[in-house]
Amino acid sequence: MITTISRVDAPATTPPPRDRFWTTRRRDELTGWLFIAPQLAGTVVFVLVPLLLVGWYSLHEWNVLADSFTFVGAQNYRALAQDPKIGGVLRASALFSAGLVVVNLSLALLLAVLLNQRLRGTTVFRVLFFSPVVVSLVAWTIVWRFMLQNNGGINDLLAAVGVTGPNWLRSGGTAMAAVIVVQTFKNVGLNMVLFLAALQGVPRELYEAARTDGASAWTVFRRITLPLISPTVLLTSIITVVGSLQVFAQIAVLTEGGPGTSTTVLVYYLYQQAFQFHAFGYGATLSMLLFAIVLALTVLQWRMRRRWVFHES
Amino acid sequence: MSRRAKILVYAALSVLCVPFVFPTWWMVTSSFKPNADIFSARLWPRHLSLQPWHDVFTLQPFARQYANSLYIALLVTAGTMVVASMAGYAFARIRFRGQNILFVVVLTGLLIPSEVTIVPLFRMFNAAGLIDTHWPLILVPIFGAPSVLATFIMRQFFITLPGELEEAARLDGLGRAGTFRRVALPLARPALGAVAIFTFLHSWNLYLEPIVFLSTKTKFTLPQALTQFTDAYQGPLWNVQLSAASMTAIPVLIVFVLAQRHFIEGLAQTGLKG
Amino acid sequence: MRVMNIAAAMVLLGSLAACGDGSSSADGGAVTLRMTTWSANEAHVKLFTDIAAAYHGAHPNVTVTFDALPVENYTTAVTTQIAGGNTPDLAWILESAAPDFVSSGALVPLDDAVENPSEIAPTTTALWKQDGKLLAYPFSTSPFGVFVNTDLVPDLPTGDDWTWDAAIGAAKKAAVSSGKQGLVPRDFDYKDWTNLAPIFDAWGAQAWSADGKTCGFDKQPMVDAMTFIHQAIFDDKAIPGPGVAADFFAGDAAMTITQISRASLLEDAPFDWTLVRLPSGPRGTYAVFGQAGIGVLKKGEHVDEAKDFLRFFTNDANSAKLAAYFPPPRTPQLTPETLAESNPLLKPENLKDVVIDGISSGVVKPSHRNSAEIVQAVRSALDPMWKPGADVPAVLTGVCTAIQPLLTK
Repeated sequence: MITTISRVDAPATTPPPRDRFWTTRRRDELTGWLFIAPQLAGTVVFVLVPLLLVGWYSLHEWNVLADSFTFVGAQNYRALAQDPKIGGVLRASALFSAGLVVVNLSLALLLAVLLNQRLRGTTVFRVLFFSPVVVSLVAWTIVWRFMLQNNGGINDLLAAVGVTGPNWLRSGGTAMAAVIVVQTFKNVGLNMVLFLAALQGVPRELYEAARTDGASAWTVFRRITLPLISPTVLLTSIITVVGSLQVFAQIAVLTEGGPGTSTTVLVYYLYQQAFQFHAFGYGATLSMLLFAIVLALTVLQWRMRRRWVFHES
Repeated sequence: MSRRAKILVYAALSVLCVPFVFPTWWMVTSSFKPNADIFSARLWPRHLSLQPWHDVFTLQPFARQYANSLYIALLVTAGTMVVASMAGYAFARIRFRGQNILFVVVLTGLLIPSEVTIVPLFRMFNAAGLIDTHWPLILVPIFGAPSVLATFIMRQFFITLPGELEEAARLDGLGRAGTFRRVALPLARPALGAVAIFTFLHSWNLYLEPIVFLSTKTKFTLPQALTQFTDAYQGPLWNVQLSAASMTAIPVLIVFVLAQRHFIEGLAQTGLKG
Repeated sequence: MRVMNIAAAMVLLGSLAACGDGSSSADGGAVTLRMTTWSANEAHVKLFTDIAAAYHGAHPNVTVTFDALPVENYTTAVTTQIAGGNTPDLAWILESAAPDFVSSGALVPLDDAVENPSEIAPTTTALWKQDGKLLAYPFSTSPFGVFVNTDLVPDLPTGDDWTWDAAIGAAKKAAVSSGKQGLVPRDFDYKDWTNLAPIFDAWGAQAWSADGKTCGFDKQPMVDAMTFIHQAIFDDKAIPGPGVAADFFAGDAAMTITQISRASLLEDAPFDWTLVRLPSGPRGTYAVFGQAGIGVLKKGEHVDEAKDFLRFFTNDANSAKLAAYFPPPRTPQLTPETLAESNPLLKPENLKDVVIDGISSGVVKPSHRNSAEIVQAVRSALDPMWKPGADVPAVLTGVCTAIQPLLTK
């Protein structure tokens, strides 16, 4: 890469272009290509080729132990349509993603609004709220697993105020809620910071004008603040949704998809099928489904931006 | 703001920060408890035991695993900064044929969870003889899907850069590459900072990839090692696991607290504002 | 921008080094065998490497490496390696994965790679044979027993009085008087239900029929056994409930059901303990063991060398050494005296009751082809049972509905 940089660098030290062939346009063209070359090559080798291979695998039945790799056409896709578990898996994924987006974004916004009051000492709180972001994901999840045990820290804390806590990771409803909440506390700091930056970009005069018109705080928030920070809301929601569909370590450490299959989200099911049940062909089919869902959601969110984003940037 | 409103805000902040702070507190204090006391409801251990902190290093080559995670994350961060700032600049400021379509092509990397491509990647790296080495954990993040977010952040930043600065540089006789290095990059420090943070944390947290690619204990990374603190028959050693988790978290937390202003403000200025 | 240049240089050097790594040296005749295991225990690893070093002394061209993979993902990790074309030469195989490995044709027959095959107890090879050929050597046959903390249970019922009712009664009493937990089925944790087999076998219950085709969860013996277990958990509080962590070996519980090889965890135990056989149940006395085999992979690069090393690794002398941690299948070594020599923590009478009688008469934990998926399906379907007031027969009928299609697949 050093050579790349110095090669395109060379003309810079020579006098301004007089060369008939190396016009500014042509040189820009070459520089542009050279600049994106590493990223493009990486995308082809580490993203597109593997994706095509996954598509190819999904048309095969692949038994690793018996060393057989047989073309079966659409059989895996038919199996997908008839898989009695897939409905529950998709429901769990939808529940997790929706729950995470709602909980995460509302908490992030609440924290950002509180911190935006510019009181003394808010920097300390900002650091505290952000700190889990830099704690290793697995370490964070392991700690929460301990605390969510029936005889763990959370229920001890609740018992101290006279409440009998549920068996968080062992009952259907609370297990999913627990995974969502653990994930929210881990990463809400990122969205909070982005919201805080957006809030600080809202001109003070607008608030003052609204106040003198006698608008309540809630009206000001809804009519002025929210529309002005809507691009950030869109961006954070896209990042959060796409991220939520890739949740793996948290499920693996906290619930292993249980109880029942209540927290078996698509990525975890894919991992089970491909790596635990050794159904690599079917696992590849599930991979294609996951890719299709992520793609569809992203396109959808991007389309919707005109509807609820106040100003396009 | 009225006195009452202020007190309310402080009260709300104090209550809200409990779930953010308590886990770290609990992790560190419990790591000093004997294994049998882990589930006792004490905020402070009855007697401090340094044994678990010592066991971390005897049960696994933990120092080595720490070094592995650290050097991989640093290398990935450095590499990604180079790759992403170049690509981001080109996509934002240089005009070349196929630019838009190529940007969309690169963006597909954002949409593909690593679980989707892990099997073919495994086969490719195995064909190259690189299984049970750190190369998959270094090369894929720098050039593959994980660096796309970094490229996106850099592009968003460079788009907001006023064009006049570059015009001036070009009039001074700087070429594209020179403008990039001498003008655009120095201005991009906040965005680069954000990219560095994102990338470092991503690499530091990788879990599925090390599980799949690595099988030798001395090559393990930290997240993988954390789940492996068990006795000879795979019974969990909770206090040792928590000691290791504390050691994983505390240095990064300290660096973060010292540099938090750059950290957070860098992130806020990424052009992710919309 | 010096930083950027340094970074660029690092990336460049990195890629070059990566290319250089690809070409490995191929000097004539030297063979490196790789055996995957799930034990990273220092003492175990030292024993293995000592045996490998002795072999290397006799066969200087062969080096053996041991690749310890985490046990909870062991089969997954090995299969992933095979899928990626990185097949180990020899692999430990868990009993749950045995039918998959044995029936798939992934292993080579070992009848000519085992010393004195007539010494091997027939009960230990049932799982590892197909069409009369031995496909893996059962190097570890570890019976289940009950470890008892005698500080917490001073008056342990013995002889004919050692029944499941008596065991649960004692566990309940100890839990109440000590404030600790009663009986812990180790490694069950409301997930790996196969570790309940040492309990439900007392009722003669089976997860599925011997031919593997018919679900056994809805049959009367299993309903009775599970009803008993459910009562012990939720009515008697003699077994810790779901989400309650308790470790017998740390002194948290009065008793635990586990494999006898766990005795080494009690080396520095701060309490007095003993090991007894599984309590008797409606079906009388019985025994259950877990197993591990070593197989030679057909896809490995050095099949003949691997077979020869296996012959050495499992010969009489080395089998006796391995017996310190892994109860051997060779009948001449299954005497209280020889076992006591390698298991100083256990008394000869413990060893006779639990190990020797266990191995000669016991049945192995449930296993099946495609067992990962079936075990997972059972686990999900059993989850509704782990709460107070659950309708046990209905849940068990649900288990059969969930797994019957998988059993016949």
